Amino acid sequence: MESPEVPATVPPAGPRALMAPAIVLERCATGIEGLDDILGGGIPRGNMVLVSGSVGTGKTTLCLEFLVRGAERGERSLFLSVTEASEKLIQNLSTFEFFRADLVSDGSLVFVDLPALYDKLGLEHEEMTPDEIDILIRTVHDLVRTLGVKRLVLDSLTSVCYRIRRDEAIRDFMLRLGQSLSELGCTSLLVSEIGPTQGRYSMHGVEEAIVDGVILLWNTRRQGDILRVLQIVKMRGTAHSRAQYVIELTPIGLLMAPHLKGGRTEGV
Amino acid sequence: MPPADIGDRLRDLPGGTAVALKLDPREFADHYFAVLNATLRDVGSEPNAHVIYITVTNPASFVWSLAQALDVPQDRLSFVDVISHIMMNYSNPLPNATYVETPRALEEIMLRVDYLLRKYPHPRSVVVVDSLNALAIHNPRELLSEFFHIFLTNLKSRNVLTLILVTSDEEAGELERMLNLLVDETVDVGGGR
Repeated sequence: MESPEVPATVPPAGPRALMAPAIVLERCATGIEGLDDILGGGIPRGNMVLVSGSVGTGKTTLCLEFLVRGAERGERSLFLSVTEASEKLIQNLSTFEFFRADLVSDGSLVFVDLPALYDKLGLEHEEMTPDEIDILIRTVHDLVRTLGVKRLVLDSLTSVCYRIRRDEAIRDFMLRLGQSLSELGCTSLLVSEIGPTQGRYSMHGVEEAIVDGVILLWNTRRQGDILRVLQIVKMRGTAHSRAQYVIELTPIGLLMAPHLKGGRTEGV
Repeated sequence: MPPADIGDRLRDLPGGTAVALKLDPREFADHYFAVLNATLRDVGSEPNAHVIYITVTNPASFVWSLAQALDVPQDRLSFVDVISHIMMNYSNPLPNATYVETPRALEEIMLRVDYLLRKYPHPRSVVVVDSLNALAIHNPRELLSEFFHIFLTNLKSRNVLTLILVTSDEEAGELERMLNLLVDETVDVGGGR
């Protein structure tokens, strides 16, 4: 189950591509071919990445495919769900050809409902106290360490932040969570729900400063037709494309094509 | 090139080649059917071949009925139908077709072809675009040029044989010149190469 820990490596001497970095960090290949291509092979291992977008832009599906592809490669994957019950998520996931039910039954792909975890931990305040935030971080850390989780998705960070509220507390929560997961070599995607015309990447505006990367998804219009678009806004530890890509959520997974610029588009 | 010889010519083409099939508007019907015959029956019947037919001129159901008359098996031919939705003619979808809502969604066309190439990997994959003129009705020239540049380059890198139907007329002149820069060969159906 455990993937071999590969340290950051120095590329071998001799000819190498222009602009290639001196040090190549170990990658967590998302398994989504187009996405790995524009990330130079994948997300640097241990990075915490915000997947930001409005409703219907494909955030959850992208995250689920990231976990399934990881579980297939022997990296135990954990989905922490706040907004949707696990049964319903698995039911929706089973409509995709890339999903394998055996990954759930053999424990490679684990779903945890966060509201049930809140109850179990006795986190009952509408606004979490500093002690309760501490308990939550420690619980996630223990879960990741005990299960040997290498990929984690939190869907959604926005829902958790509703219970933390203050910007300073959100900043502190994310710093500690990111550090804790990175120490365990766990690459994480945190879903951020934003409005269609918000002009930022998270509800509070502090989240994007803390994370290592931001993958932005949004809808755009061309002559009245809506296109789903993806862009890597930020990714520490790797050179990456900054171009926009139109995406399609197909039965075999997320596919990407360059966003054509010959026509005028506007955000929706 | 005489219409009867097109099939042989196309069969000789290696993967990764992009070819414009230029049809004479004065003999459009004859040439169109000759090209359909060549692409669906002659190329489509090659061992290990799979044809992805992008229909913008006519609905997939129309092309499929011709393909059936030519005894093309269903598993050898898939459609990306770009016109039926916009014509509100979508009530009986074909099992071997995927439907794009509008010919303006050019990225969607690329994505559906990508999907079919991944879903049905064959040593001899062929993509037919029917046609440049029909796409030009719905899209501005700059957008269409960008589309063909990216699309054809991508298909070449994947060793796919791409055939683009274009009816030569005054309106299509500028687009034809653009296409000439991108394709490896132009076959003048009914005329010289």
